[in-house]
Amino acid sequence: CCSSSSVSLSFVVSSPLIQALAREGIQAVMVGKGGEAAASAQHKEEHEEDGDMVGVVKLISAEGFEFVIDKKAAMVSNTLRNMLTSPGGFAETREGEVRFPEISTAILEKICQYFYWSLHYASGKETAEFPIEPEITLELMMAANYLDT
Amino acid sequence: MGSACSRNRGQVVHEDQLYSVKFSKSGSFKWLLHTLSRSSSDVLRKAQGPGPGRRPSLVELCVARVREDISRYSDFSMLPRDLSQQIFNELVRCSYINEELLGAFRDCALQDICLDEYPGVKDAWMEVIASQGQSLLSVDISCSDVTDSGLNLLKDCSNMQSLACNYCDRISEHGLKTVSGLSNLTSLSLKKCAAVTAEGAKAFAKLVNLVNLDLERCPKIHGGLVHLKGLRKLETLNMRYCNGITDSDMKYLSDFTSLRELQLSCCKISDCGVSYLRGLSKLSHLNLEGCAVTAACLEAISGLASLVLLNLNRCGICDEGCEKLEGLVKLKVLNLGFNHITDACLVHLRELINLECLNLDSCKIGDEGLLHLKGLLQLRSLELSDTAVGSNGLRHLSGLRNLHSMNLSFTVITDIGLKKIAGMNSLRSLNLDNRQITDNGLAALTTLTGLTHLDLFGARITDAGTNCLRCFKGLRSLELCGGLITDAGVKNIKDLKDLTLLNLSQNGNLTDKTLEIISGLTALVSLNLSSSRVSNAGLHHLRPLQNLRSLSLDSCKVTACEIKKLQLAALPNLVSVRPE
Repeated sequence: CCSSSSVSLSFVVSSPLIQALAREGIQAVMVGKGGEAAASAQHKEEHEEDGDMVGVVKLISAEGFEFVIDKKAAMVSNTLRNMLTSPGGFAETREGEVRFPEISTAILEKICQYFYWSLHYASGKETAEFPIEPEITLELMMAANYLDT
Repeated sequence: MGSACSRNRGQVVHEDQLYSVKFSKSGSFKWLLHTLSRSSSDVLRKAQGPGPGRRPSLVELCVARVREDISRYSDFSMLPRDLSQQIFNELVRCSYINEELLGAFRDCALQDICLDEYPGVKDAWMEVIASQGQSLLSVDISCSDVTDSGLNLLKDCSNMQSLACNYCDRISEHGLKTVSGLSNLTSLSLKKCAAVTAEGAKAFAKLVNLVNLDLERCPKIHGGLVHLKGLRKLETLNMRYCNGITDSDMKYLSDFTSLRELQLSCCKISDCGVSYLRGLSKLSHLNLEGCAVTAACLEAISGLASLVLLNLNRCGICDEGCEKLEGLVKLKVLNLGFNHITDACLVHLRELINLECLNLDSCKIGDEGLLHLKGLLQLRSLELSDTAVGSNGLRHLSGLRNLHSMNLSFTVITDIGLKKIAGMNSLRSLNLDNRQITDNGLAALTTLTGLTHLDLFGARITDAGTNCLRCFKGLRSLELCGGLITDAGVKNIKDLKDLTLLNLSQNGNLTDKTLEIISGLTALVSLNLSSSRVSNAGLHHLRPLQNLRSLSLDSCKVTACEIKKLQLAALPNLVSVRPE
């Protein structure tokens, strides 16, 4: 995956999206130059035994939009799990951020929602179907395939 | 049905398929294919319901979404091939695919097209299938109406490794020529193909990479095997029910030294034909069921040092010559059922200590002979049905600590004998279909708490005896058809929640009350209450049995019309119904 620094763009996000993300526990952050806002995002400490699962990770869409999610959620993706857990292998492991130059903001948002849905589903807290809009199905499927999730 | 296609490429003929019923084109079952989901996993998934468990991947969810909105799509060729493959498999599994939808998969570089028994497959589908070109690795169009010209479209798919055209009765000798160019084929299946003749089989001559060849039920195969002689990589060859295969064909098999599995059930071969197999040193599975061979053929077979499975069911084996079995020490499965052998033959099995399955069904054996089985400690399955084995003989078996399955139906065993098997707690499946067995015998077996299958079809069990059934908490199938059970006895069954098969037919006193009592057995897949007093009025009690696939209520006060109503309203998985 790409770890070169690209010019970050600034996006104004409509408030319903922010609310939706907040409901999912996702910190959606508008970014100028990188992670200050994200770094200040307050996350309650996870009571995890496994140190690998603690903390947050930042996913950056093609348009430069950043999603800060729990590492535990990101681990739902096998691709991300490999990146984040392989010792010293990826720049992503150290910096806690992953860029997806080929995944649009809307799709990356949906994927983040899926990560949380999947965690809740596995624990039995979620029984509702995961909603997928017909217009994005194929694009979402390709991204999911890349992320092995 | 419906297993992942990619697995088909490594297909092997399994012994357990020997007795499996396959819907064939010739039968009248094809309509079922439209109503049956191609996989039972759907049912299981529903049965488990939502909640914790394996979480569906996002890709799976997207694939399901595409299926739901399938009318939105007309072309999947922009997708990576593994995704279009998954969508294709899903549409096939759910029986959504048709000629029009198939068009969306043109040029998708699919690897596997598995349309085995799929309704409506014909030549018009083949163009899209062929458009996958060099990507195509496996194709299964079994039971289709594809003709020579349809098959011919595959001629450029030269990377194909696996092709199955079973029961394709519109393919001729001429059509088989297409196959001759597919030289990368490792697996070819042409069950019941009349085109496989002395002439048609020429198509196989260049398929030098073939590992698996299935020519089961090819009626005109006689004279064709000569063209197989170059197939030095052949490991499995199935020619079951090829009644044109005679001794003169067998000589061409003698060069197949890499052969591991050879199925020749019901071929017209004799001891002379079997003698050509002498040099097949790698042969591990040999099936000669129903061939007119005698113990003299064991002369040649005794040299097959790798033999693990030998099926001589329904041959003409007598005791004399059976000493040749002694050297086959690797044997794990030996079927000698329906032969003329006596206790004198069993002495030659004494050293076959690796035996796991032994079938002596309907042989002339008795208590004395069982002494020789005493040391076969690896035995997992023992078939003694229709023999003269009695209570005294069972003491020789009580030490078989790995025995999972034992069939003692139609023997002369009585209640007293069952005490001797009461300690065999490895038993999972026990058949005691035998009129001498009564409540007393069953009471002796309550220690066998691991039983999952219990057949007491003809045993004289009464309501009192059914109390013992409460001990068998893991029971998955139960047959109790001796005629003496009433609704009161059925109450003892109602907590056996794992039951998937229940046969209480022939019990003329059972009423609608029985249906009410068993209505909590929601795992039931098959239920038989024929020849009872069950009536239309009780059918509504069956509504909770959502997993039911087979229901038999012959000779009851039940009409086909009322069952049909129940089926439509509440039992979507029901596919086999009596009366119909």
